[in-house]
Amino acid sequence: MDLFLQFLTNGLINGAFYALSALGLTLIFGLMRVVNFAHGEMYMLGGVLGWFFTTHLGLNFFLSVALVAAVMAAFGLLIDRFLIERLRGEGEEPGILFTIGLSIFLANVTLLVVGPAPLKVAGAVPEGALFIGPIIVTKLRLMAVAVGIALMIATHALIRHTRLGQAMRATFQDPMAASLSGIRVARVHAATFALGCTLAALSGMLLASIYSAQASVGGLVSLKSFVVVILGGMGSFPGAVVGGLLLGVAESLWGGYVATGMVDVIGFVLVILILLFRPQGLFSSSSERA
Amino acid sequence: MSQTATQPPVLSVEQIHVAYGSTAALHGISFEVHKGETVALIGANGAGKSTTLRAISGLLKLRSGAIRFEGRDIANQPPDKVVAAGIAHCPEERHVWPAMTVEENLNLGAFLCRSRAEREQRIGMAYHRFPRLRERARQLAGTLSGGEQQMLAIARALMSEPSLLMLDEPSLGLSPKMADEVFDVVRAINGHGVTVLLVEQNIYNALDVASRAYVVETGRTRAARPAAALRSDPELLRAYLGG
Repeated sequence: MDLFLQFLTNGLINGAFYALSALGLTLIFGLMRVVNFAHGEMYMLGGVLGWFFTTHLGLNFFLSVALVAAVMAAFGLLIDRFLIERLRGEGEEPGILFTIGLSIFLANVTLLVVGPAPLKVAGAVPEGALFIGPIIVTKLRLMAVAVGIALMIATHALIRHTRLGQAMRATFQDPMAASLSGIRVARVHAATFALGCTLAALSGMLLASIYSAQASVGGLVSLKSFVVVILGGMGSFPGAVVGGLLLGVAESLWGGYVATGMVDVIGFVLVILILLFRPQGLFSSSSERA
Repeated sequence: MSQTATQPPVLSVEQIHVAYGSTAALHGISFEVHKGETVALIGANGAGKSTTLRAISGLLKLRSGAIRFEGRDIANQPPDKVVAAGIAHCPEERHVWPAMTVEENLNLGAFLCRSRAEREQRIGMAYHRFPRLRERARQLAGTLSGGEQQMLAIARALMSEPSLLMLDEPSLGLSPKMADEVFDVVRAINGHGVTVLLVEQNIYNALDVASRAYVVETGRTRAARPAAALRSDPELLRAYLGG
């Protein structure tokens, strides 16, 4: 039983980062209908930039979080404005081809610049274990999860309560009505893409403070984010959170009780099950719009 | 019409051509709307009435032709510029945001208005004009009846305080009683000085509320008549509309 609680805790911690990353992906897909295969590279860039600011430059962790967010938001805006903008209204295929190309480009440029070695993000608190009853959690993990949860709450508040968030929801639910009300849909798209990239990058940076960042990690992260989005329902905010936690726990239990080597398989097993029995996802996006 | 004929029209559309991809949808639509009028575009399904409104509001690009509003060229302007210029377009099939409350729908109708106090004042006016919407303020728009959604769509369009309101098929899918209510609202809005351009398949309703009407046929304007003349001449109507 104690072991189960430990696995559950580990799973929920990893799941929080899956959720954060998938949130970015589901926003981009739900609103822009862009299937972003470069999402994992945004996550990877977050980790590498986090290493650059904290370990390489020796900056404060929270300042570095803000810097990574600013750099990646700007990067996302530029990508949307100069590249994705040209594909708007051309259907989903050009977007898929473009983002696959972008992911290969970003992964290889990163390899060229920082090399293939794992890079550590210096965390906000020293390593050290906390004992909560029978469960062991490092302070570093608790800190990272707390920041991750704060980011999810902030994203939710942005979507619910700001003028930009309202414009995003309006564009999501009915783009024509949004245009006719004077909302500049192209700007909403750019802001959404920037937000999605930022969430992926911050997830990558937080997780790299627990594990490490690596130039080649993007592909696997993209796949896992897609798994979470399919589990939760395309474009659904609560779906991304629940789906992320579910994937984290399932992987942790599978790794703990069955086989550590095949942990990455469990996500695809879940996707096959959900596609067979509830193809719209746990939270259908028709009723649970962003 | 006599007192307005000397002034330049509020909206003038001259020989506009629009295509969806390679398929031409409009080939030569021309008409004018004067201040304070209610003008109807009538014609069979697929004649190009809705396409005309979409071209004016900037949702579609023109191949050629000119659109002038209050003396300014607005052809091929993006929709937000057209709204800012004072034209509101209430689209066919209402297009309210279904998962937002009535109040959120209204609030976003005034998206270009930066002052929160001003927006709240306009929402108050909308509730004054449409008391049913006040009762439903916290309800999701998707749960309203068809007639209530149409009222909300019109109220939302008015939130930008337009000088010209374009209404596309406001009675579509409504009961005759509900349709009458909608047209009463249109008359009241026009009575408050808002110029109205109306697209309507129900010709008799359209001619009842409009002062003039243009007959649109296969992407062209065929005839302009005072609404009363068209109404009292079924032969003429049948000739144009094939009814």
